[in-house]
Amino acid sequence: MHYAVVERWSRGRSFLHRRDARAKAGALLILLTAIGTAPGLPAALGGAYFAYLILGFAMARVPVTGALARAAAVLPFSLAFAAIAAISGDPARAIALAGKSYLSALAVLLLVATTPLPKLLRGFEGIGVPRFLLMVGQFLYRYLFVIAGQAASMRLAALCRGGFAKSGPAHGTRFRAAAGALAVLFARSYGAAENIHRSMLSRGFEGHFHLLRSPRFGPADWTFLVSSAAVTVAVRGI
Amino acid sequence: MHIPDGFLSTPVWIALDVLAVPAVGLAVRKTQREFDEGRIPLLGVMGAFVFAAQMINFPVGIGTSGHLVGGALLAFVLGWPAAAVVMTAILAIQALVFQDGGILALGANVTNMAIVGVLVGYLPFHLWSGGGATARSIAIFAGGFASVLVSAVLALVQLILSGVPMPAPVAGISVGFFAVSALLEGAITLAVVQALETINPNFIRKAGRPKGGAAAIVLAMAVFLAAVGVIFASSQPDGLEKLAMNVGISQRATNLFATPLADYEAAFLQSAWLRKAAAGLAGLALVYAACLAFGRFSARKRSA
Repeated sequence: MHYAVVERWSRGRSFLHRRDARAKAGALLILLTAIGTAPGLPAALGGAYFAYLILGFAMARVPVTGALARAAAVLPFSLAFAAIAAISGDPARAIALAGKSYLSALAVLLLVATTPLPKLLRGFEGIGVPRFLLMVGQFLYRYLFVIAGQAASMRLAALCRGGFAKSGPAHGTRFRAAAGALAVLFARSYGAAENIHRSMLSRGFEGHFHLLRSPRFGPADWTFLVSSAAVTVAVRGI
Repeated sequence: MHIPDGFLSTPVWIALDVLAVPAVGLAVRKTQREFDEGRIPLLGVMGAFVFAAQMINFPVGIGTSGHLVGGALLAFVLGWPAAAVVMTAILAIQALVFQDGGILALGANVTNMAIVGVLVGYLPFHLWSGGGATARSIAIFAGGFASVLVSAVLALVQLILSGVPMPAPVAGISVGFFAVSALLEGAITLAVVQALETINPNFIRKAGRPKGGAAAIVLAMAVFLAAVGVIFASSQPDGLEKLAMNVGISQRATNLFATPLADYEAAFLQSAWLRKAAAGLAGLALVYAACLAFGRFSARKRSA
């Protein structure tokens, strides 16, 4: 599964992995702004940022080919609009749309490949994002694959019973059956949520998670943030 | 439609980020009043449900299928503020973990799907579901329909405003495609709500007596105009600017005092891109800081 791989990457111990999530998020924001505000995407600029990000993946000891393939998830959307731009006689914008979206996706992937999501969300809390929202995100992420697993099992069961066979029941019946399956999944999810709630209350849950070690924004994090910002701005001047 | 980074022009993504920050802050505050922190797992698991629900396909004929988007359904179950919070969390996780939608464009995606999409989806339910069974079914269908259509059309408008080439036939086909997706969402939402009520009627919230009906209608019209009317917007100056130019006011106008962020640019910076980016980020930081200060002030007041 896509995220199982990225989750494994994020557990590394490289220089980038050890940096505070806030420093990495700040560096990412500056890089995305530099890419997003560029008028078009000249080859030199795109190539320089691409090389910069590849260097980041290499420093983090994350498989570069795997990362390049995963960032390509953005391309079906981007290439459709790039094709429209190219057909409309604007090839420069076509290149910019595809190139900028791909570089941005690669940059975000570098952040999540070097920062476990709980640490990243904790970092966001440190810069003032409402804790309530982050906790919802944390729970969503924790139970995403449990409930997705249930949905996959239900889909497989329906397949085994010929639920998707072309010669099967009429569309209306199949539509109602799918709605029923979704309602059952909802009821199971709701039940699971209630059970989780009770279990957590019984273990003393007070509305937020405690980290074993509080994140610390040290001199190395400042150095990383300032130097990466300087490189981003210098490259943007090309 | 999740807009990735690199598609929206700087003024558009900054304006929508500035709009999304206080809107999400308001939704969080309203949700906190209704759900204590111990109930957060319910919201998180409901978000995970919407993710997982997208794996279950609904046959729609001619060999195709569709799936639930879920904004309106969440609003019917959790109420609009909690649904907006859950949708925001979903969009953030999608952008970070699945590279589905951008980070700078997160404000646009949150505005389209988590704020406007959820509000517009909830509105028919709020206004009409107190009537008979037929009116209630129509309200639920209309909620699902409007939620997807308005979100998608808003995204299209934002792309057009950002200068993404969109020939008229492509825009027309896109709107047609969105309308079909919206009809499907309405039908799926209605079928799922009916199936849910068979299992447990308490899953779906009882719509309260509509308060401020006129305000709701004005809101609906404003959203409709924003979604559809802006398609016809042009890059020409707006009416007031045009009038000022024709009468000659703009040539004679003088600035009473200089401001650091005039014309959405930070005048003290040399580079053109830095001027625009810095002005936008400064605006965003100001709104963010104001929301943060307000949140901390009200939290302190609550705990006092």
